[in-house]
Order: sequence, then C-alpha cells, then structure tokens
Amino acid sequence: MMRRKTALAVLLAAVFALVWASVGSGSTTGNKAKPYKVAWIYVGPHNDGGWSQAHNAGRLYVQKMLGSKVQTTYKENIAVGSQFNQTVASLAAQGYKMIFATSYGYVTKSIAKKYPQIKFEQATGTLVTKNVSEYFGRAEDTIFLSGMAAGAAAKAANCKTIGFVVAYAIPEVIRHTNAFTLGAQRTDPGAKVKIVWTNSWFAPAKEKQAAESLHAAGACVLGQNVDSPATGQYAESVHIPWVGYDSDSAKFAPKSWLTASVYNWGPYYLKRVKAAMNGTWHSGFYYGTINDGFTKLAPYGPGVTAKTKQLIAKYEKKIENGSFYEFTGPLYDQSGKLRVKKGVKMQVLKGGTNSLYGMNWLVKGVIGSPKG
Amino acid sequence: MNNSLAVVLIASGVAYGTPLLFASLGELLAERSGVLNLGVEGMMLVGAVMGFWTVERVHATTAFTLVLALLIAALAGAVMAAILAFLVVTLRANQIVSGLALTIFAGAAGLSSYLGNNLNLADRPARHSFQAFLPNSMQNWPIVGPILFGQNALVYFSWVCVVVIALYLSRTRLGLNLRAVGESPAAADTMGINVTRYRYVHVLVGGAFAGLGGATITLAITPQWVSGITEGAGWIAIALVIFAFWRPELCLVGAYFFGALQALAPQLQARNISLGPTVLWANALPYLMTIAVLVVVSSGTTRRRLGAPAALGVAYVREEH
Amino acid sequence: MRPRLPVTIEQRLRRPRWLAVAVPVGSVIFAFLVAALVLVATGHGPVSTYRQLFDAAFVEKGSLDQTLIAATPLAFTGLAAAAAFRMKLYNIGAEGQMYMGAITGAAVGLYLGGRGGPSPFVIAAMVVAGGVGGMAWGLIPGILRAFFRTSEILTSLLLNYVAGLFLTYLIFDSESYWRQTKGFNATVFPTGKPLPPSAIWPGLSFNLQGGIVFPLGAGLAVLVAVLLWFLYSRTRFGFEAQVLGDSPRAARYAGIRVRRKILAVMAFSGAIAGLGGASQVGDFSHALDGDPNGLQLRGYGYTGIVVAALGRYNPFAVVVIAFLIGGLQNAGAALQGPSFPSGLVGVIQGIILFAALGGELLTRYRIRIHLRGGRRVSGRVPEAA
Repeated sequence: MMRRKTALAVLLAAVFALVWASVGSGSTTGNKAKPYKVAWIYVGPHNDGGWSQAHNAGRLYVQKMLGSKVQTTYKENIAVGSQFNQTVASLAAQGYKMIFATSYGYVTKSIAKKYPQIKFEQATGTLVTKNVSEYFGRAEDTIFLSGMAAGAAAKAANCKTIGFVVAYAIPEVIRHTNAFTLGAQRTDPGAKVKIVWTNSWFAPAKEKQAAESLHAAGACVLGQNVDSPATGQYAESVHIPWVGYDSDSAKFAPKSWLTASVYNWGPYYLKRVKAAMNGTWHSGFYYGTINDGFTKLAPYGPGVTAKTKQLIAKYEKKIENGSFYEFTGPLYDQSGKLRVKKGVKMQVLKGGTNSLYGMNWLVKGVIGSPKG
Repeated sequence: MNNSLAVVLIASGVAYGTPLLFASLGELLAERSGVLNLGVEGMMLVGAVMGFWTVERVHATTAFTLVLALLIAALAGAVMAAILAFLVVTLRANQIVSGLALTIFAGAAGLSSYLGNNLNLADRPARHSFQAFLPNSMQNWPIVGPILFGQNALVYFSWVCVVVIALYLSRTRLGLNLRAVGESPAAADTMGINVTRYRYVHVLVGGAFAGLGGATITLAITPQWVSGITEGAGWIAIALVIFAFWRPELCLVGAYFFGALQALAPQLQARNISLGPTVLWANALPYLMTIAVLVVVSSGTTRRRLGAPAALGVAYVREEH
Repeated sequence: MRPRLPVTIEQRLRRPRWLAVAVPVGSVIFAFLVAALVLVATGHGPVSTYRQLFDAAFVEKGSLDQTLIAATPLAFTGLAAAAAFRMKLYNIGAEGQMYMGAITGAAVGLYLGGRGGPSPFVIAAMVVAGGVGGMAWGLIPGILRAFFRTSEILTSLLLNYVAGLFLTYLIFDSESYWRQTKGFNATVFPTGKPLPPSAIWPGLSFNLQGGIVFPLGAGLAVLVAVLLWFLYSRTRFGFEAQVLGDSPRAARYAGIRVRRKILAVMAFSGAIAGLGGASQVGDFSHALDGDPNGLQLRGYGYTGIVVAALGRYNPFAVVVIAFLIGGLQNAGAALQGPSFPSGLVGVIQGIILFAALGGELLTRYRIRIHLRGGRRVSGRVPEAA
C-alpha cells in the first residue's frame, strides 16, 4: 500500500515538474524593440474618483500617445515607507526604468541611491537628487477661482459661512484652504470659511460626517480638499451648493455642483517620459501653472450665474498673464497679524513659514485650527 | 434647537449606527448558537458591493430596486457565511482562524474588491439610494424630527428587526432552543435539538444581516462604492455584541452610542469646541467600555454568567460509538 | 425517526504519521486546483500565474530580500500566537502587542541611540524594550482572564483597536517624543522621528540574487522559535502548560498553578509580538510608523494567527510557513497591477487558507461512508491492525 502511494506521489511530482518547466515565467516577450517600462505608484485605489484616478488618467494618456513604445503599469494602495520600498524593489527587478511616485514621502534619499538606474518623479515633495525629480503645481490658482464660485453662492444665499472639509494639517492643504478663502472673499467680502479635519485623504464616511457637522454649524455652501465626493452627495441631499476637488464630480451632485480645481497630469507625464526615453531627462523642480495645462477649472454646474462666470474668467486671464497672484501681500493671519507685506509675492520654497511649501498659518476669515 | 449639538449627535448616531446594528444583530445570532464569527467585515464588504451592483444594473429607480438590492446583499453575505459555516460546523475547523481566513478571502484585498473593480462600480454615484422620505414638516419637529423622522427606510427596518429578534429569542421555542445550543450543545443534543442545523441556520442568517449592514453603507450613508468602504465596521460590530450583553435591544442602544461617538469629533471641530485629543478618546471609548462591560459580566459574584453563551467558540462533536 | 446520513464522522483513535504531512500538502494542492479554476474563469492562465507568483516570491532578483521583509513580522506574530494557542489561550492581540512593542522599542532606540554604526548595546536594549511593551499589553487580557475569567479572545481583540488609535495619536495628533518636529520636511507631513544610526538593526548580507540582506529580526525569530520549542517540549513549564491546555480540571487536580500559567503564557506571547514590533522599527521602518494606512493596515497580527494555525502551533513549522506566506504576500504585491486585479490575490490566499483549515478535519477525524444494504465502506485506507 505504501509503495503504491509513493509511486503515485513520484509520478505526480514528475508531471508537475514537467508542466512547470515548460511554462516560461511569462515576463519576457520576443519583441523587436523593447518597450520603455514606466510605473506609477498610487497611495489610494486607481479608481477613487479623485487624486489617484487623475494620475491614472495621466498614465493612460501616456500609454495612448506612445503606444507600443512604452509599457506602463500601476501599483495601488501603497503606503509610504517599507511598502513603497518593496514595491520599488519588485518593479526594479522587472526592469522598470521610471517611476512616478504620486504622494509625499514616498521617495527617500536611500531608495534613490539604491536604484540609480531608475528615474524617480515624486509629486508634492521637495527632495531633488541626481535621479529624483519633483513635480506639482499651482492648484492654488484654480482653487482660488473655485473659491470665488463658492463665495458668489454664499452671497446669493445671504449667509456668510462656507464649510470646507480638509484632510491633514499640512502646508499643502493649508495653502489650498487659504487660496479658497481668498477667492471666496473676493465675491463675498467678509465670508468666513469653517474647516473640519478628517485626517485622511480619502474617507467617504468621515467626510460626510464633517460636511454634516459644518452644515449644522451654519455653513450654507460646502467645499473640500479631500478626495471623495461624499461631501457633494451630502450637499445635494440638503440642497446646498458644493465645490469639489481633484476631478469633475458633477455626476455625484448634479444640482449642487458649482465647479472644482482639477489636475491634468497627462501633458507633464508625456513630456517627462519622452525626455527619459531620448536621454534628455534632467531632475528638477517643476511647478505647473494654468498656462501649461497643469490645472484648470472643471465645467460649471447650473448654479453658477453668468455674472460669476465672467468675473472668474477675468481673474483667470489675469493670473495667466501674471498681473494677478492671489498670494500677494497684504495677507493677514487668523489673529489679524500681518504676515506678508503689501506687494510681496509668496514664493514656492523660499521664505520659511511665508513660503507656499512651509505655510502653517491660516488667513483671516478661516475658522478652525491650523494644527489639525 | 434642531441644530444643537445634542440633537445632531443623536440623529447622527442613529444614522451611522445602523450598519453597526445590522451587523451586530447578525453576529449576535451566530454567537448565540455558539459560533464566533470573525468574518463579519468580509461579509459586510461583499454585501456592500453586491447591493450596489444590483442598483447599478437595475435601472429603474423604484422602491422595488432597493428591496431587490437588499435581498441580493443579504444573499451575498449568507453565501460567505456558508463557507464559514461549512468550515467550522461540518469540518470542525478552528473558528477564530476560519473567520480570519474569510476576512482575508472576502475583504478589502479580496473578493469584494475584485468584484467591485471588475464590475466597474467605482467612481459612480448610486443610481438609487435610501433617503429620508417622511414629509419635511414632520422632519422639522423639535428634537424628534431629525432623530426619529429624518431617517431613511433602512433605519426603520432595523427597528423592526430588533423587535423580531428580541421576540424570537425570548418568546419562541426555537429561540429558547437556540439558547441551549449556545450554552451546552451536548445537552441540547440529548434533548433532540439538531445542533448542526441550528448553527448553520444562524450563521447564515448572521451573514445575511452582515450583508445588509454593508449595503446600508453603499446604498444609504455614502451612496458610492470604493474598495474597503466599511472601514472596520465589522470589527466594531463584534465588540458591540459583547457591549450589549448579547441582547438585541441593547445592540440598538450600543450601535447608536458608537455611531454618535464616531460623529463626535467632527461635530466638536465644526463648533470650535476643543476637548483635547478628541479623536483619540472618542474612538477608543467604545472599546474600553466594552472591555469594562466584559469584566463585569464574566466575574459576577453569582457564578451564572449574564451573557456570553458558554459554548461560544467551541466546535461541537457528537460522540458516537 | 430522523434519516440516517450516509456519511458519519468519527474521531480517530490514532493519528498516522504520514497523515500529518500528506494532509497539509494535499489540501494546498487542492487549493491550488480550486484557485486555478478561479483564475481560468477570470481570464488568467493558472500555470503561468503560479509561475509568476513563485518567481516573484523566490526566484527573481531581490525577491528573497522582499520575502524576508514580509516574512519576519509574520514569524513573530505566528510564534506569539502559537505560544498561546497551544495552551488554548486564544491571544488575538498580537496586532496590538506588536504596536506597543514598536512604541517602546522606538522610544529606547531614540533615547539611547547616537552616531556611529549599529551598537549591540542599543539594539539589545531595543529588543528588551520591545518585549516589555508587548508583554505589558499582553498581560492585560491575561490578568483579566486569570482573575476575572474574562474571555481573552474578546479583550485582546478590543485592545488591538485601542493600541492602533494610540499609535496613530502619537504621530498624527500630538507633538510626542516619537514625532519628527525638526526640519522642513517635518512640517510637510506628520512622520516619526528617524532612529539614530546606532539604533538601526544590522542585517547579514549574502551574495545571492545580486545581494540579499538577512534581517536581524529574522534571525531573532528563529532563535525565539528554538526557545519556544525548548520551552514547550523540554521543560516542566511546557509540560504543565500542555496539561492545562488539554484539561484545566486535570491541571488543577495535579496542583498546577493555573493563574500563574495563564499570566506567564500571555506575557510570553505578548513579548514575542512586541519583539516583532521592535523589529519593524529597527529593521525596516527606522522610525515609528503611526500612519493608519501603514503598519496598521498590514494585519501582521491577524495573518500571524493563520500562520500559526497552518503550522499546527509547532514553532519550526510556524517559521517555515511564515516564510512561505511572506513569499505569497510579496508575490501578490509584485503581481498587482492593471492586468492582475489586487482583489485576486486575497481570493487565492483565502482559498489556500480554507483548504488548509479544512484539511485539519482529516487528521483528526475519519470519514465513514455507509453504502446501502448495510455494508460499510470506510472513506480512508484502513489502518494496519
């Protein structure tokens, strides 16, 4: 009995080994020209309807424009830290030459040093080395414009409070909050913006709770700097206007939708991938603008009046030709102290807490703590 | 008055506590039969995705659509529970490990995510969802307006479920038999009660309720689907059953309490009230209180334990000669 | 009269040796077959997928490195679970105990560490601190069980959440000792303070696959496994613990101090998990990771329980299985992408676990099939008389 069993086991093992060996690992194909391998790494799901989805749209744009010359892939739900490092290691082993890391903190000096053959492009960060480049852009410009739409809606509703759902108390979000508030104050002078922190980029239930709490505390217009449209769905259910973020989410709140600041990553991605492929890639710090198509406003909803649209268009043109910049002094903080002198324009990196990347104070008119 | 913190918190507690209530009712039934179901989170996620899928497929925006979605969500949860029941009741596998395996299988990195992504359910609003439906005049009545009348049909249905289950457990023969199965399966067996069948039925029904709880999130609270949308509600439901002394009516109280605690931090923020690390203690409080309840319950001066079914977690094997 | 089922399940009187190996292997093969059906149904070739999984886990350049990184925490939590489960003390709190060990280990590393290469003194202190942190957290359910007879399953589970909330609080909601507060980057996003160089755990470098590093934590895990094996099979403590697990009443009659045993085992189990937490900080993250989407989402504590179950609570088997499951996790992450949906990995892992768990039955019980006409045919090979 035992002998029959062992014979059977040996036979099975032999069959197994035969099948195994006959199947290649499947990763190499006999193409004439090897496609250039580029990977994107997302902090959330690729179809979150927000931040990561916009990056994925950029990836698909590159894939479409370059066809068989590139092979693109993405890894989603990758946390900052060792999970990112592991992902990079496996991508490196598969021959990927370029990685777009779409969240702050992903790329560290050590990981860049470990893989000198890979070109790293990181979004929203500050580290620049021989093979690490940074990119982000002036979303604050379009957020300012979207704030104008919110202010106009608040003025029409004759209440002075706008609710703003925010994620983490970091300079990026603080600067966006400030831009939104400055915009709202253009169309509704004296408007107040109340903020609630959710401590997450993407958390539909928390965002809805934040929206509810803001509404209960008196907000009659809602805006956000988080990634899901939950705030908008709530706004629609209580019939108040809503400004979104990251993507055109009008379908989630057809009547409440005003507009949103939208990222358009495709053109930058295409430019950089092409440069990497033909050897002209250099690391640097890219800060996109409306002019080069990096950011724009999503189409308006039914609640935006023609007058408001004209006004926003006017400011947009001024931003594009440089005659207006929302972060020009005089700028006061919440306690009334003058932080930026008249005529001074805030810089991206220079200026400590008066720089865009170091801003840790909220402008006058924002109600809430900048500490989270 | 209806915008005061207290009213808003209670109303929020009711709304956000409803998925917890459904899931905990299901877990209660399973545990009463002696099976510790640690796969609730996975069952909720599968119910959430399948309920949402139904609404997307059936284009009509009628009440029938929503009812169908609930049925399918419940069925999906029950199917997942069937896997667990087969493993722990028939195959006598370890209940804890099997439940965890089910969470891995069906959870946010498993089947539910696979189904949602393959069926293209992300980044779209639900075609139809549960909304508050009572006339606005009623919803605006002081205090009871938002708390009782401003809720959607699922909330009201959950109240019916609580009553039905409470009556079932305390007044019907089947319910009393269930007690025996959970306390001492051997004794129940000699009384002629089919322990296996009771366990199967209650684990499956438990899974169905978990599926309903998941559907509550994707069809009522945040009418959209994304991977992992329950964000740990299943685990909270397990704690909730303990907190409620394994009694359905206390599940309701507990669910609303936990729900209100979740809403506490944003509400305080919006009103600029700062109570220190609110997020930390508001979120930790339910668990700490549950532990306290557990200690009290299990160290009673009288030997009789007030809640936990004695045979919870132990596989039943009938000795045959 | 209730109809008699044609199949009955009887407990085995003896467990043949070969069954202990054949069943797990058989169930894993069965699982791969079922998973293959799933893969075919979803449009992926099963054999090529398995080949890709295997390569990504063990063969490709750098894969062993990543597999070791994934396997090390699983080995610790698996051993922690095995230590307790063997005595029928169901400690589900390895997750929270790991967080606490990370907190205490990081604190000691930050405090004692300084410049220069890895210091054995600092690292030893971190190891001890991690163990103490986990032990303290594990003693809470232990005390509640020993003195109040509260179910350790439920208390340890609930404490996981509390530990997770506390961990996030330390980095995200407070200016705690663990949080990085200096420097420009600190203002941009909440992160943990990086460990000084002398507190970073070294690894053993091998010239395999282009250079892999065997983390110190992995070595410690193997040591712990040896210790655990020795404790349970060669000491009186272990013997008494086994008796207690099999029959508390018998243990009491035999004069075994039940309370002390419960406390000791929970403390030991918690300490192992805590050590895993210290390893996470010292070996891999080099700072305290409080991100709710970071360490807390990996589920090492819960997966460790499954690893322990698959290894039948035998310490050496647990380490081997941790390595295999670590490879599976690593491969799944590597495979994930537009053409291979991430959900599929969990589905396959789940199927493997189900099959392995279900196979448990076959070692403990025998299935008898009754044919009509009274003739009984056994569903398994009859054992030699």
